Parts: sequence; C-alpha cells; structure tokens
Amino acid sequence: MNGVRFRWVAAGFAVLTLAMLNACAVTGVGVEGTVGVAGYDAGYYEPYGYEYGGWGPAYRVGPGRGGDRRGDWHGGDQGGDHGGQRRGDRGGQPSRSYRPAPASRPTPSIPRGPRAH
Amino acid sequence: MSSAITRIRTLLPQGLSALLLSVISISALRAASFELPPLNTPASAEHHIGKVVWADLVTPDLAAAERFYGGLFGWTFQTIHTGDSDYAVALGDGRPVAGLLHKPIPAGEHRQSAWLTFIAVRDVDAAKRVALAHGAKTVSDARNYPLRGRQAVLSDPEGAVFAILASSSGDAPDFLAAPGEWIWSSLLSRDPGAEAAFYQEVFGYDVFDLASDDGLEHVILSSDDYARASANASPGDSKRRHPHWLNFIRVDNTTDKVAQAVASGGRVLVEPHVDRHGGHVAVIADPAGAPLGLMEWTDTDSKVEPK
Repeated sequence: MNGVRFRWVAAGFAVLTLAMLNACAVTGVGVEGTVGVAGYDAGYYEPYGYEYGGWGPAYRVGPGRGGDRRGDWHGGDQGGDHGGQRRGDRGGQPSRSYRPAPASRPTPSIPRGPRAH
Repeated sequence: MSSAITRIRTLLPQGLSALLLSVISISALRAASFELPPLNTPASAEHHIGKVVWADLVTPDLAAAERFYGGLFGWTFQTIHTGDSDYAVALGDGRPVAGLLHKPIPAGEHRQSAWLTFIAVRDVDAAKRVALAHGAKTVSDARNYPLRGRQAVLSDPEGAVFAILASSSGDAPDFLAAPGEWIWSSLLSRDPGAEAAFYQEVFGYDVFDLASDDGLEHVILSSDDYARASANASPGDSKRRHPHWLNFIRVDNTTDKVAQAVASGGRVLVEPHVDRHGGHVAVIADPAGAPLGLMEWTDTDSKVEPK
C-alpha cells in the first residue's frame, strides 16, 4: 500500500474508531452499551405517600402448591359460567365478574421443574 | 506534478468513501434505539402469554440500588448509558434478571421508587387495544427495542401500572425460579374481581378464586396451567393504599434476607410469615423505598395450607 492511500484509509479508520469509542466504554462491572439518543422511557415512579405493607399474618398473596381450596363462588354453575356473580369484598356487593375456571379444574401452582441447562 | 494529481484523483474516491462510511457509522450509532439485551438466549419461538417475564426498577440512585441488590441477591450489572439516564441490566448467574433505571426525580417533587412488572404478550398493539377498551390508560406508548422486543406501559382500570412485552427472542421456558430470580407477582387492588376480569380480557387468563381466612378476595391468574400471579383485595381500608403490582424474588431464607436487607439500608414492610404454599414470605423496601417481596419455596415446605 502506498503512502497516500495508507493515510486516507488510516484517517477513515481513525474517525470510525472515534465514533465507536464515543458510543461504547468499558467499566469494571461490565460492558457498557450503545448510547441512544432515544433513551429508555419505561421508567415509572409511583405516587408518593402510599402504604405498601403492614399486612397481618393471615393475609396471603402467594401461590399454593396446587389444588388449593376454591373460594365460595356462587350464582353460576361453577363450570365456567359467564353470567354468575361472586362474593365481593365490599360488604357482600358482587364485583364485576371474571369468568371463573371450571370447578373441576384444580387450582394450579407455579412451575416445578428446574431450568434446563 | 501531474503524477501527484493523478494519484490524488485515484485515491480521493477511496478516501471519501472511508470518510462517508465513518459519518454513516456515527449517525447510525447515534440514531440507534436504546439497545437492551434479549430476554431469552438462545432465542426461541416459544411464547407464554400472561407470564411475568421481566421487571424494571426506577430509582434516583443507581449506585445505591446496585449495592443493595447486588449484595442481597448476588446480582452483577451491565450498565448502559442513555442520553439522560443510565440503565443497568442485573444478571443472576450470568443471565439477565432485571433492569435498574436511573431516573432523577425533579426537584421539589416526591415520587415513589418502584418495580415495574412486564407481562408477556404476542402482539403489543393488539393487547394494548384490548386493554384500553376495558379501561386501561397509556403510560408510555408502544416502542421497539430491537433485541428485547416491543413494549408499552399501561395503567389498569384501578391505576396499577404494568408493562406488556412481546419479546423478540421468545419467552423463556417455564421452570422453577432459582434463588435470586423472580418467582411470583401479586396485584394488590381495591376490587380484585373486577381487576381479574380486566386482566382476563387482556391476557386470556384462567381465573381461580381462592378460599381465604381473612375475609378478603384473592384469585389466581393462570396461563398454560401454571399460576402466573394473584390478584388480591388490599388489606385494610386505609386510603393510603394504592393499587400496585408487587414482585417476589425467591430466597433460601426469608428471615435472613430481611435482616440482610435492613443492614443494607432497606426497610421491612411486612414481617416474615408463612404464606399459602407453606413457606415464608416478607415484603421489604429498598433504600429508595421500592417495595419488593421475598419468598421461600422449598420442597420441604409444608404442602398443607396454613391455618
């Protein structure tokens, strides 16, 4: 490669390298990625001043082991009926109803098996 | 002289081509969308609609959050700089587990740091249309992140915020979460029956109502014959309750992790206690106040529902 051509190509690579360095950097904890002018817009702050805990021990939100006792659905045939009403949590007032899974189906649990490697 | 001019004429196009390539590269890098890692490696065509597949924390202090979560769960982090904020991908055993987004809180405002729950869909725009038709509102419009997929942030009819995500690498197969990974998600709401109806419309869940000893309504949201989440009537009647999603990380020992969290600047929101599956759960807040659940899940836990 002659000298002039080398200088042109080298200049091009230099500019390209600067562009890459501008976009990426390496830190002690991992590789840092692309600079995006578009950024990330999924971050959402909740409103301040609300209570997020304070439950008693009888309040349970977790899954069961499968086959857990069903609640006292009534008003439908407990077989996937769409028109019934269920016990609400507001003094017996029925809430707008979902379509319950048939009573014959056991309540499912979370996946059991380990991750396949 | 003429020889030099000839050489310049010959080499000028090559030089300009190199320069043009460089300019194009700069522009492409600058214009590129914010690049997030794929959810699933290797990619697959497997999808599990209704499964909670990701969570993002928004925090005003990313360094503090990394110290807290890294110490508590052994997560490591890959930080991605954006134009005006930083995003750290948390890795558990080398796999992406969560995202931590640094986002300053405007001066004079009070905001609550929080985890955002991502639920899998196949078509974000279609799911969003159904959600909006049933009372949801748009928080962040649908947007593509090439390796991750397309996502949007919505609030449900009660105002609980969640995200929908169509992963471009597919959804991970179903397996029992390892310690340090998400194992469960719960929606706390004023009217779980109505909320369950909404989420059933959007994600096609099978809904199982549960017997409870607390007089409150609890339901399981299920897809693929697996429990994906629960919807629960908020405990108590305080007006300071705000409908929200709460995600749980699997831990080996809830009590120990709670103590470690407190020693690291966190707070206890719900003391460890036995939950429906027979193992202990607790709720903590990280140093910035973001609520987070901890849940044991072992084969030795009682399989009898606690009284």
